[in-house]
Amino acid sequence: MKFFIILGGVMWENLNLKDVVALARDPYPSIRQWSRDTGKKVVGSTIADVPEEVVYAFDLLPVTILGTHKPLKKAPSHLPDNACSLARSNLELALTYEGDLFSGFVLPQVCDTTQHLSDIWRINFPDKYVHSYLAPRQADRPSAHYWVKEEIERLITSLGKWTGKTLSDDALNKSIALHNENKKLLAELYDIKRNNPGTLTNKQFFALMKVSQQVDKAEFNKSLKAIKDGLKLKKGKGYTDVILVGITCDPPEIFDIFDDLKVNIVGDTLVTGSRYLQGAPAMNGDPVQALTDRHFIRGFFSPIHDNVYKNFEEVKKLYYDTKAEAVIYVHIEFCESQEYDLPDLKDMIKKEGIPIHVLDTEYQTTSLSHVLTRTQAFFESLKGGSL
Amino acid sequence: MEDAFHAHDNGKLVGYTTAISPVEIFVAHDIVPIYPENHAVANLTAKKGVELCSVVESMGYTNHLCAYARSDLGYRKTGVTVTKGIPEPDLFLACNAQCFTLTKWFQVLARRGDLPVFVFDTPEHILDKEARKEIVKYCVLQLKELISWLEKVTKRKFDYDRLNEVMKYSAASSILYKKFLDMAQYKPSPISIFDALIGMAIAVYRRGTQECVDYYQTLCDEIQAKVDQGIGVLPKDQEKYRLYWENLPVWFKFSDHAKLLGSYGGVILTSLYVHAWSLEFDLNKDPLETLAENYVNRFSNSTIEDRADMAMELFKKYSMNGMIMFMNRSCKAVSFAVPTLKDILTKRTGIPALVFESDMGDQRFYAESQVRTRIEAYFETLDRLDLAQKTATA
Repeated sequence: MKFFIILGGVMWENLNLKDVVALARDPYPSIRQWSRDTGKKVVGSTIADVPEEVVYAFDLLPVTILGTHKPLKKAPSHLPDNACSLARSNLELALTYEGDLFSGFVLPQVCDTTQHLSDIWRINFPDKYVHSYLAPRQADRPSAHYWVKEEIERLITSLGKWTGKTLSDDALNKSIALHNENKKLLAELYDIKRNNPGTLTNKQFFALMKVSQQVDKAEFNKSLKAIKDGLKLKKGKGYTDVILVGITCDPPEIFDIFDDLKVNIVGDTLVTGSRYLQGAPAMNGDPVQALTDRHFIRGFFSPIHDNVYKNFEEVKKLYYDTKAEAVIYVHIEFCESQEYDLPDLKDMIKKEGIPIHVLDTEYQTTSLSHVLTRTQAFFESLKGGSL
Repeated sequence: MEDAFHAHDNGKLVGYTTAISPVEIFVAHDIVPIYPENHAVANLTAKKGVELCSVVESMGYTNHLCAYARSDLGYRKTGVTVTKGIPEPDLFLACNAQCFTLTKWFQVLARRGDLPVFVFDTPEHILDKEARKEIVKYCVLQLKELISWLEKVTKRKFDYDRLNEVMKYSAASSILYKKFLDMAQYKPSPISIFDALIGMAIAVYRRGTQECVDYYQTLCDEIQAKVDQGIGVLPKDQEKYRLYWENLPVWFKFSDHAKLLGSYGGVILTSLYVHAWSLEFDLNKDPLETLAENYVNRFSNSTIEDRADMAMELFKKYSMNGMIMFMNRSCKAVSFAVPTLKDILTKRTGIPALVFESDMGDQRFYAESQVRTRIEAYFETLDRLDLAQKTATA
């Protein structure tokens, strides 16, 4: 792990690609040091849909918690082994490894597991700020719009009480602008990677995505800009363009496998990927309304959307628009929501004649040899035209 | 059920809904409510779980999904059932106060026939009192949307007077149902949880009808007669352990568990699960408001802290001195709270807990000898504690 030296009180504005990949692997020592040096509090959130712009506008650092690769010690006594592996991993991260780093948590509830996780978290951190963000689990009716706005307003009130600050529209708009800039830069980098796979590896690009969700964007945007400006475009040869479908993709070594096999991810539906970039809130009106509207522009997320056909249409569009050659579905072990959707989605994709490979992943996985073998076999058969 | 099979002949639609859902809206609008869970229970109790679930696993569904859902999807594929089956649905109402799983399961079923699903989204009844008011507002808005949706699907105007009438039946039957459950506080208890699990079927199936009110009135009268005669599940001198059960039952071990526990002087009296239908409607309020309040605060949609308080109330009321905490692989919505709940309850009551893991419907996850050994060991522990307490008092 590279030690990041703070120059002039900043930590994340002069990073190169290698630094970012290392940071993505374990960002917490760096965040801890940043918090110590700036005196700012860190607020953790699990996925998905917490409006991080609001947290940031209170002069707090919002950090998306995306599991730990360290062994499970305490989480299994709270959540059994048939619970979503990301949920267990997140809980472990907080209980054993990084709990001290966070002054508070804003935890979204999108399914049975995240609902319980929120309770377990609160009970285990009685001295910290823990706010349950009650995302609607329906997204097609006017009441959902009412509820998202209400929940954003409740979050603002709650953070205001905790921090003793009042949030102005101006502060929130500034935060939105900063986050939008971050997403714009990431989208531009995605375009470069998509069209010039020899320029940025999958691992590098998704590290940029991940780190963006975990560090101060005011600083990191400068790194993103410098990295983008410094890229020497390389088309590269022999790449297979692929759409990545799912919620998250972990561990990062999976991207190494893709890179080794010369897979170029040209589109995705990941919550930690393209879905994070979708729907930049407008900055010239009511910021709460803009954040509310954004919720409904984002793509399919299995726990809150009720129609897998939408997911299929989204995947199909991405596949044809990008002229990809296959779809890889990333299944998180014990994610119930995905598991109810997957058989039908897989059938729809197959019926469309789109080659699909389902990759079973589990947080805390140490050996990826099975993933490598199966993915290798899939791409070999794809090249051989036997699918 | 016979009526439901002929619903279309009578110009009615069949609506699948979750056992915890504002079914009063369906009843008031003459939609015939059907609960696929209940059909699943019949098959799982008759030990059809493995056969039906295996079929579904070959369709690509994992073996750790809800056994109700798996066995139901297996039934759809094979037609295998120990009943006459259930009528096919015209529409779905999924209320996630019970669980998120049912919503996903209904979505799978709806895709088979391209049928409409209404998700009644009930955010967790969190501890913040102000937030609760907002949650109820959100739920009332959704109930209005549900009514508009039904009007659109059925092309019939919703009758609010009829809803008021249905609410009266629902309120009356819920009070009687709770009275029935609370009879477990007598010593010896005239009912066990197994009676409650059978007795709750009408509360689930026929809520909002006069028939439901009459049923629980008769049931309460019958049980009261037992109480008056001092008749218990076990004779008074043999009723040693009055137990709390957490979770749904292991359906295929229903009677075995009753016998086994009885042989040790144990009677399971109650659970939060059976109390899920102890609704407390306020007829002075707008019906949509009292519906929203009641369905959002069910145990399965409450925080772990509130669940612990609810269970503590039962411990006190029923004078319970033991608890069995079932980690049900099938029911994540209930089970993921169990380890934390167990810690809180053992601390607050001072009573040790028996924790065991299995599945409510899939026998492959049930280890007979292990469960039996744990039950035996648990009663030995309770005996030892009882003896120690008596010695200390002497």
